Amino acid sequence: MPPMPALLVSLAVILLSELSPPGIVHAAARPPRTRNTPRQALTIIVNKSNPVENLSFAELRKIFLGERSRWPNGHRVIVAMMEPGYAERKTILRDVYRMTETEYRDYFLQGTYTGDIPASPKTLSSPAILRKFVFNAPGAIGYLLASDVDASVRVVRIDGRLPSDVEYKLQIDSD
Amino acid sequence: MRFHILGTETSPISRTDWAIVKRIFAVLLGILVSTTILDGQQTETGTDADTQTIKALMRRIEQLEAADKQLQARVEQLEKVQQALAQPSITQLPTHLSVSSEAPANEQSAALEPEKSDADETLLNIRGFGDYSFHGDTQKGTSTSFTFGQIDLFITSHLSDRFRFLTDLVFERGRGNSYEEDLERVLLEYRYNDHLKLAVGRYHTAIGYYNLAFRHSGWFQTATGRPFLFLFEDEGGILPTHNVGVSASGLIPSGNVGLHYIAEIGNGRASRPGFQSVQNFVDENHHKSLNLALFARPDAVPGLQVGFSVYRDVLAPAELARIGETILAGYAALARPRFEWLNEALVIRHAPRGLPHVFDTPGFYTQISRRFGSYRPYLRYQYVNASDDEPVFLSVYNTPVGLQHGPSVGLRYDATESVAIKLQYDYTALRHQQAISGLALQLGFAF
Repeated sequence: MPPMPALLVSLAVILLSELSPPGIVHAAARPPRTRNTPRQALTIIVNKSNPVENLSFAELRKIFLGERSRWPNGHRVIVAMMEPGYAERKTILRDVYRMTETEYRDYFLQGTYTGDIPASPKTLSSPAILRKFVFNAPGAIGYLLASDVDASVRVVRIDGRLPSDVEYKLQIDSD
Repeated sequence: MRFHILGTETSPISRTDWAIVKRIFAVLLGILVSTTILDGQQTETGTDADTQTIKALMRRIEQLEAADKQLQARVEQLEKVQQALAQPSITQLPTHLSVSSEAPANEQSAALEPEKSDADETLLNIRGFGDYSFHGDTQKGTSTSFTFGQIDLFITSHLSDRFRFLTDLVFERGRGNSYEEDLERVLLEYRYNDHLKLAVGRYHTAIGYYNLAFRHSGWFQTATGRPFLFLFEDEGGILPTHNVGVSASGLIPSGNVGLHYIAEIGNGRASRPGFQSVQNFVDENHHKSLNLALFARPDAVPGLQVGFSVYRDVLAPAELARIGETILAGYAALARPRFEWLNEALVIRHAPRGLPHVFDTPGFYTQISRRFGSYRPYLRYQYVNASDDEPVFLSVYNTPVGLQHGPSVGLRYDATESVAIKLQYDYTALRHQQAISGLALQLGFAF
């Protein structure tokens, strides 16, 4: 094959692979869950003063990506992230951000530089501290294992579903 | 201030402990007294003595209960004081958070945010970007050189919940092989909500995609440099990439389409000799430049941004008729962490008053790259074509343009999270001149 057509064909293949819906690629890449693996849902929590009770997954993604800066009640959105190494953070990076740690860092570095993103997420060192943080900050949103949630914070439905529902999207792989 | 806060945090707890100790001490005292009384009772006989002892014990119990109630009331009072002290700082929390970027928070700051102080409010947040290159090309009169590129200090400060100050303080090549510093961007922003952000100062003009996506950071760019079309004014660029004025931007309610707008009014680009390209303090004429940009970020294709912009200004060169300048730009950019495909095209129209025809300069570039681990090979092809009698670029901007087109191929290697090495080969065909081949090795970094 001559070089130019070969180059064009290669570019076309790359483009097609890149333009395929990310969810499909992601689902195929996810390791299979065994029957004995306990189901661990990742709960999205907000401050109790936040009137939001339900978010679509697309809205959740925009909030975590920093594309939404205010809640309906006027409070500024503050995303609370766990420190690297926690399974909860891995799940959020994989399912919501669809990024690696490095990509996540670069994304916020560039976003704050260009002005698209008003502020980077806040990183917290343990589930208990994250829960306290969300309890204290009116505009905070974060995530916890369902077992770490208590009455001090509000659980937000995602696409109308609670973590206990079967079709709830955010699940932690115990690999 | 912080010690004071820590004091208010810890003080009620220590008082509580102290109260418990007091309570235990009182109970022990009661036991001791009662034991003494009971010991004494053994030496006495008769019903009267028993009755007196019981009465004495009952009085003592009542005293202890009263003391216990007092202590409980005191503890409750102290807890209320503690809550009252903590509450105001909690509501101020978002303001503090805005200046921290991914900084780990300790338990104290997470549990109880420190009180706000003026000093905290004006803290500067600084990030830096820089690059260092070794490059050479076949153009006559040039030599291979080591070059320190732009050192960009990106400084921000959240002045309040809605106001932010930011600047790009850039150290770059100046006249006579020296450095010069330049405030490339100086903005005071007011973010009312997602639909309205106002900014005043010196900004990057929202023409096309590249100018806003990469600004002065070479580190963010995949390639070693900007496309011809988007070179900065002081590097021989033909676009008004900087402007001084007012900007409004935000999200247009449009559901999954993700429509955004940017509207700008500014001094525009200088067209008289002796003036800096960017009119920082004085506009050479009363006419203001206007720019309107619309773009969409549809949910259906993450990373895709499609948009266009219209820029309009009137140039007033010395001893020449005024020249209307209109810049139409359109683009489709797919920028994902692993894949990038940028496509931009624009037309610069110069219309001298009194002349029957206009001069259109079309240009475009396409750039594609994909990351494989730490490696990112990329390819760019760019084109710009100005007519030989174009009245502005050479005679007003002192920038020869003509026809330039050709590919660039390169490889970016991210050695660490903050250091990237880029190797790029450029081939540029020119009208009336020999083509130029160039090679550049660049070290880009963020700090």
